[in-house]
Amino acid sequence: MFVFILRRIGFAVLTLLIATFLAFVLVHLSGSTPGGVALGQTATPEEVVAYNEAIGWYDPWIVQYWNWLVQVLQGNLGVSLIDGRNIADDISKRLPVTAALALFGTLFSAVLGIVMGVVAAVRGGAVDRGITATAGIMLSLPVFWVGVLLVYLFAVQLRILPATGFVPFNINPEAWARSLVLPVLTIALTAAAGIARQTRASMSEALTQEHMRTLRAVGTPTNRIIYVHALRSASLPIIASVAVQFIILFGGSVVIEVLFALPGIGQAMQAAVGTADLPFVQALVLVATLVVVVVNLALEFSSRALDPKLRAA
Amino acid sequence: MSARDVGRSIVTDPIDTTAPLLEVRNLVVQYSKNAPPAVDDVSFTIARGETLGLVGESGSGKTTIGKAILGLQPVTSGQILFEGVDITRAKPAQRRRLHGDLRAVFQDPFSSLNPRRPIGDAIAEPLRVAGVPSPERRMRVADVLESVGLPRTAGERYPRQFSGGQRQRIAIARALVTDPRLVVCDEAVSALDLSTQAQVLNLLADLRAGADLGYLFIAHDMAVVEFLAQRVVVLYRGKVMEQGPADEVMRNPANPYTRVLMAASPVPDPDEQARRREEWRRMRTEWRQETGVIATPV
Amino acid sequence: MTVSTTNIVRVKRTARVNLRVLRSPAAVISIVWLVGLVIASVTGPLQQDLTAVLQGPSAAHLLGTDELGRDLLSRIVTAAAPTLLIALIAPIVAVLITTPLTLWAARRARTESVMSRISEIVLSLPGMVIILAAIAAVGTNMPAIMAIFGVLLFGALYRVFIGQAMSLHKQLYVEAAAVDGVKPMAASLRHVLPNMSTTVIVQFVLLFGAAIGVQAGLAFIGLGPQPPEPTWGGMIQAASRFIFQQPWMMIPTGGVLALTIIAANTLADVLSGGTAMPPPLISLRRRKRRAAADAATPESADATVAAAASTVEHEPSTGGLVVRDLVLGVDDGPDLVTGVSFTVEPGTVMGLVGESGCGKSVTSHAILGLLTPGLSVRSGAIEWDGVDLAAASESAMKRVRGHEIAFISQEPTRALDPMFTVGSQLTSAIRRLRGVSKREARDVAEQLLVDVGIIDPPRVMKSYPHQISGGMAQRVAIGLALAGTPRLLIADEPTTALDVTVQAEILGLLRNLVAERDMAIVLVTHDLGVVADICDQVSVMYAGQLVETGSVRDVLVAPEHPYTMALLAADPHAAVQLTGATHLASIPGQVPAPAEWPSGCRFAERCRFAQEECRSAVPLEPRADGVGQVRCIRRDEVRGRQEEWCQPVTSGGAS
Repeated sequence: MFVFILRRIGFAVLTLLIATFLAFVLVHLSGSTPGGVALGQTATPEEVVAYNEAIGWYDPWIVQYWNWLVQVLQGNLGVSLIDGRNIADDISKRLPVTAALALFGTLFSAVLGIVMGVVAAVRGGAVDRGITATAGIMLSLPVFWVGVLLVYLFAVQLRILPATGFVPFNINPEAWARSLVLPVLTIALTAAAGIARQTRASMSEALTQEHMRTLRAVGTPTNRIIYVHALRSASLPIIASVAVQFIILFGGSVVIEVLFALPGIGQAMQAAVGTADLPFVQALVLVATLVVVVVNLALEFSSRALDPKLRAA
Repeated sequence: MSARDVGRSIVTDPIDTTAPLLEVRNLVVQYSKNAPPAVDDVSFTIARGETLGLVGESGSGKTTIGKAILGLQPVTSGQILFEGVDITRAKPAQRRRLHGDLRAVFQDPFSSLNPRRPIGDAIAEPLRVAGVPSPERRMRVADVLESVGLPRTAGERYPRQFSGGQRQRIAIARALVTDPRLVVCDEAVSALDLSTQAQVLNLLADLRAGADLGYLFIAHDMAVVEFLAQRVVVLYRGKVMEQGPADEVMRNPANPYTRVLMAASPVPDPDEQARRREEWRRMRTEWRQETGVIATPV
Repeated sequence: MTVSTTNIVRVKRTARVNLRVLRSPAAVISIVWLVGLVIASVTGPLQQDLTAVLQGPSAAHLLGTDELGRDLLSRIVTAAAPTLLIALIAPIVAVLITTPLTLWAARRARTESVMSRISEIVLSLPGMVIILAAIAAVGTNMPAIMAIFGVLLFGALYRVFIGQAMSLHKQLYVEAAAVDGVKPMAASLRHVLPNMSTTVIVQFVLLFGAAIGVQAGLAFIGLGPQPPEPTWGGMIQAASRFIFQQPWMMIPTGGVLALTIIAANTLADVLSGGTAMPPPLISLRRRKRRAAADAATPESADATVAAAASTVEHEPSTGGLVVRDLVLGVDDGPDLVTGVSFTVEPGTVMGLVGESGCGKSVTSHAILGLLTPGLSVRSGAIEWDGVDLAAASESAMKRVRGHEIAFISQEPTRALDPMFTVGSQLTSAIRRLRGVSKREARDVAEQLLVDVGIIDPPRVMKSYPHQISGGMAQRVAIGLALAGTPRLLIADEPTTALDVTVQAEILGLLRNLVAERDMAIVLVTHDLGVVADICDQVSVMYAGQLVETGSVRDVLVAPEHPYTMALLAADPHAAVQLTGATHLASIPGQVPAPAEWPSGCRFAERCRFAQEECRSAVPLEPRADGVGQVRCIRRDEVRGRQEEWCQPVTSGGAS
């Protein structure tokens, strides 16, 4: 078990290194240089080159990457080329926004998706066809379109929720909650459809397992068979799909944050890419990968805790 | 029998006729470094035209031995000689030259045929590999289908159009199409119903009659082996417990494990079975005392 | 490669996939939509009318106009071809990378472990963020971005592909190809890839839909092709800006995008063979009452008799199980079992024997109401303590299941829930069935394990099913069956999956249970040796009906039905013992499928004694010797001619 944990963590670190190095290469392949971006259109080429020299832009990549890593390990993610903000501070302010969005979105979609999937698998027939068709459509609808429609319905027509914008929790918890309802609802619809599909497939497979007959033969009540035994059997792929949805929501929050004007990681990414704010892009890749890696680790450990066969292996 | 006159061209090497058909020397197979060996120092030979039965329970290593002979399982140590040639670690190219002589029939008649290809395709595959021209291939496939009791035209049909017993006939046809000297039959009848099993066993017996064809017949059922084999090897946890002529081993088993195994197999006669049951109880106790195995429940 | 056969295969395969797609209206509509969009896009003109800004739908502008007075329909349609064609790049790149790597990795364990690590890393990359970083590098060059997206899809796609490729590689026909001398790469191409083709195509279409969505999303946040080039995402973005002035604009722009992705996903669903799920093994809904009502409708003469029988008061032989004229069938399908009747007295073992497809397992399932959904009792009665279980309500069944009648099945390791320890499965059943406390239940469970011959109950209680051997698992399953102190045990091939020595142990255990607890057993088996070992009574089934019943000695030593004789003669255990014969009896042909039963004797077609008279219906009649019944009109002529089965059959087509 100890060896397993070490190995997984080592693997996670390797993933982080590869992702950030990839971002590093992409940043360097882009036409822009830090000097060009930071000093703007008015600077002379000499000034730009001097700026770049100063920050070591012309050093070998591997040296630059190493220097960056050392800085990161000291908690220094650098400053924005555009306005000189401290990137680490900025991200730490944005992280709770995106995290709340992804977390609530995942929770809501997990509940909705699992209920849909279990009902479809257990009831079968017309109920199943209805749920499956609904999930199929939900899965196909572009989130940003759904988001705009929801804004139109709840904010423009019904006027019960704010259209866009964000209020931090410590300023006004109620307004904070209200500002999150529409974004969460929007992303949860697609995510719930994905989870519903997985739940339905896993549940229906679990219900064909030979031990279902044994359970019924010793008089196990139907609800216990469904919710204790079958759902437990089906739980691993369901949890995996919930984790995948969390990762998608976290990484895919760009579109939602832009749409609802939420000051999160995604919005920062869009802005940084648009303005070629290179250290910011690099830092955001690091943060996003870190989230993915941590969620995957949590998934890995919870799967082992849940499945006796994995635990033994 | 038309399957007889095919495939000699595949092996061009001169054959040492004095050597046994197959010789397995001190074979050891380990799946991983720390695991106990699945096959532990097993040696036996098969003479030309002979049928050797390999009997044992699950976990005895019998299937692993079959796979090692066919080159489907890496060998840890020991040697496998086929017609005097060492094939223990033969490369695919080297094996290809003798594959016409060493063939296999597997247990599961449902997964041993590719569902997307007509069965004639499967049967002709070794001929295709050997570069036999297409018209001749078609002739040989028809011949061999006939020899296993299927219509000559059956080659155009797909596996799903056949029943379990028929599929096992197809698998046998595919083994025989190259006119082999040895066919490894790995639990070839254990997935079949009683009546179909009898059909296939009779077919295997008929095919070798008067031909230079040997079988390595792997099974867990003593009676099935007894019906077909001239000699038997009894395995337990990777080790050879006993080997010898079939009727001798069956009538008068020397090894206590063989006795337990024989007595455990029930016969369809209530009085005879009651007698065997008592015998089994006695032998099991003896064997446990002898080997020091504590009475672990299974 | 044979030109002729290869062609035949290829033609047939495409025909099959084509058929599935063409037979589905949803798939046809999807294809028409996708293809139609591209064609219209290539041919349609761009229109602009600066006087009609932000219009709703009208005759001049069917879908209205945008903020610059441009016709929405023509803009949407114009954007279609580039969107769809560029979106194709992602799945093409993904499939081209993943497929060869999968085929390569599936063959070697070491390559596979390296490749799966790589796929894990790729899967852990935050896809959208990397794409944005790539846009920072290469700009809004959509084809390049889609190619990068395709590379990033490797992680997910590899996981989908490798599972199937590995399981295909484990198929015996791939192993057989290796024995045939086929080169590994050739085997992959000939035997693995074609069987994966459906998965590859389905994933391709799904990823195509995803790529369209990603493209539109990027355009929506302003990182797609730059205006004035029309893009769907850009149009939705524009629509969202003018949502207060003209909400209508949202509908056509987003609608087309949504419909396109729906079309791709629908196509994938149809290609993958629909979204049908396997039916659950047990009925989850309360259908008992309906089944009873069905039985009461006068479908057949049997049904009315059965309905009458179920209301009639108790049988004289109390304490036993009486099955009367049981008819089981597939809903909207053929009968599987017809007119089966037998009685099981307390403390006796009744063997239900026959080959696969004879209906013995379904009969055993029907007794406890364990029929798979889709099968049901058509008529007849299953009487237990004066109650007809075939028509009993769910609550009546609840009082019987586990308490009075228990069940053990064929595959002991799969019969236990792999997610729970042996102890927790036993104690929860004991608590429910005996109404005792958790502590007490633990004690009872340990005692039960001792009773079934397990030496170290505390250790076994803590084990999970996969940690114990098959024989041990069957002991546990028997212990579980004993949790409610039943009087009858239904055992469906309890030793078929076990080694002979283990089988002997389990049979010994069952024999003790019968002797010590006065329990009755219905034992389903195809092994006549098992019958001889443990059964008192035997019922031989063939093609859904009883052909011979009687005491085990009568049936096995002096069989009166040709089928029983043939089975005995085909059994190598018996044959070798008798004569050391060179031939086993072989019954030509196979058991007919339920829909294909002849109206006369169902065995006649395979019977060496069959004559013209056998073509008419044959009733069960009393045995010539002993108590029991036989279904053969030539009984007296064929008796004692068992050995004749060992002679080769000239008719019938078998070798």
